[in-house]
Amino acid sequence: MALLRSFSSASSGMGVADHCKGTFLNLQRKKAHRYVVFKIDEKRNEVIVEKTGGTAESFDDFMASLPENDCRYAIYDFDFVTEENCQKSKIFFIAWSPAVSRIRAKMLYATSKDRFRRELDGVHYEIQATDTSELDIEVLRERAH
Amino acid sequence: MYGGDEVSAIVIDLGCHTCKAGYAGEDAPKAVFPSVVGSIEQTEAINDVKSEKESEHISDSKSNLKGFDSEKAKIKRKLYVGTQALGFRRDHMEVISPFKDGVITDWDIVDNIWAHAFRERLIIDPKELPMLLSEPTSNAPQHRERMAELMFENYNVPALFVAKNAVLTSFASGRATSLVVDSGGGSTTVAPVHDGYVLQKGVATSPIGGEFLTECMAKSLESKGIILKPRYSFKRKEVRPGDFQVVDLVFPNTTESYKLYSQKVIASDIKESVCRAPDTPYDEKAYANIPMTSYELPDGQTIEIGADRFKVPDVLFNPSLVQTIPGMENFLDTASVRGLPQMVIESINKCDVDIRRELFNTILLSGGTASMQQLKERLEKDLIEESPQAARVKVLASGNSTERRFSVWIGGSILASLGSFQQMWFSKGEYEEHGASYIQRKCP
Repeated sequence: MALLRSFSSASSGMGVADHCKGTFLNLQRKKAHRYVVFKIDEKRNEVIVEKTGGTAESFDDFMASLPENDCRYAIYDFDFVTEENCQKSKIFFIAWSPAVSRIRAKMLYATSKDRFRRELDGVHYEIQATDTSELDIEVLRERAH
Repeated sequence: MYGGDEVSAIVIDLGCHTCKAGYAGEDAPKAVFPSVVGSIEQTEAINDVKSEKESEHISDSKSNLKGFDSEKAKIKRKLYVGTQALGFRRDHMEVISPFKDGVITDWDIVDNIWAHAFRERLIIDPKELPMLLSEPTSNAPQHRERMAELMFENYNVPALFVAKNAVLTSFASGRATSLVVDSGGGSTTVAPVHDGYVLQKGVATSPIGGEFLTECMAKSLESKGIILKPRYSFKRKEVRPGDFQVVDLVFPNTTESYKLYSQKVIASDIKESVCRAPDTPYDEKAYANIPMTSYELPDGQTIEIGADRFKVPDVLFNPSLVQTIPGMENFLDTASVRGLPQMVIESINKCDVDIRRELFNTILLSGGTASMQQLKERLEKDLIEESPQAARVKVLASGNSTERRFSVWIGGSILASLGSFQQMWFSKGEYEEHGASYIQRKCP
């Protein structure tokens, strides 16, 4: 939990299920997934993997996997070609928090974000998004360049 | 503390203008009442002081002690808290506020406000429930310690948490990073929040809040010859069905502050019902011929409000406008007070270059004054004109005006009810072991 950062240990706040880190590493090192969507399981008080997307899937597929009225965390592996014709890949962390979702969900995801984000080592950019206009392939491109 | 959802807590947001109190987990505060209180100095106490003064020369040895006592007796007063208690006019009752320039100066009043909230409105025993309090974004450390002391010593609360207004608003909108523009009753504060922390160097405040605008409205109406008759000063009788007669009542012992308070209640209602932020900077000529809107005063008199509907809210954007409102000319040092868009830009520019883009992109509106019609659109428009080209300006406000007005309280309510929050409380045990200053570590 962000508020607790200064003096807390890993045991505080929301937990992170072990497979989250593993899935992230598979995306980062083995490029096994295009994206990963995480959700908070409030009963178990931890973040779990909700969905993974194959490498062939597009950004639109990724967008379609985010709920319209609930919050999620997501990782997206953005591949692009630079002006020098160089293949590059940047990993984005996305805090998805649509304006119409319940305040309780927004609060839950916002307060636990920092703690979860620190579990994922090697994220290049972070985006907070409340609607699809903020989460567009152009936004990612702009940030990555 | 597992099963956090069942642990109910009390959330109090004591603002300059209204106090919001209720149970954690609910979506609106149970009790909303003014932060000002009525005060009557106890007459017996004054008599005591007099008699003591007379007897002073008789026994010199006792005078020291008595001097101290009379000091105490002088401030002996009866406080009236809550909408109802204030709505009833009493002889010699002054209306006083615990705040001065947005800072709590009178803790005795705060104590009474809390007591009122617990015992008369929420009907709970503070000994049994943890307490989450909101605090102004740039609250001094000694004030939070004082708060903790009062809560633990006077009310014996089992646990406490103090969270900053801007942080609560930001979390309630689902963002750990944002620029919070909180325009409340007493002031307007612009605060950058990054990963759940307020960046203090970027905080900007201005004394222009709802109450200031209310005053502009009242003064402007006054200059047009409209008298706002407080509700207590007349009686409306129905002479024949549908035909009313107003009879003035005279209460010579009413204090000036009570009269002003009652008039402000009316002016504030006028402001809330008719005002709208103009789409472009206010221009006397352009608004000279706009259609009038009517408003019925409590005494049955109907008044017409024209340009003031737009002029008063525009003070937020252009503070120097107050110089054209009769009676308000000297209220502000207009050289130092900035308009809302300038405050936002200055605040963002004081932050690290890396996060400016994100701040421009997530400007959150909160507070009662920010719920004014068209304010969001106007702010966004002004900012797009004045911000750097590359910045994508986005002003966000929750569509629902209750959510906007109570965003701080709602943020606190949900935070306190989250299961993952339960281990963050500053407990009574910790207070007893480490003292009040430990709150600085528990509640960053």
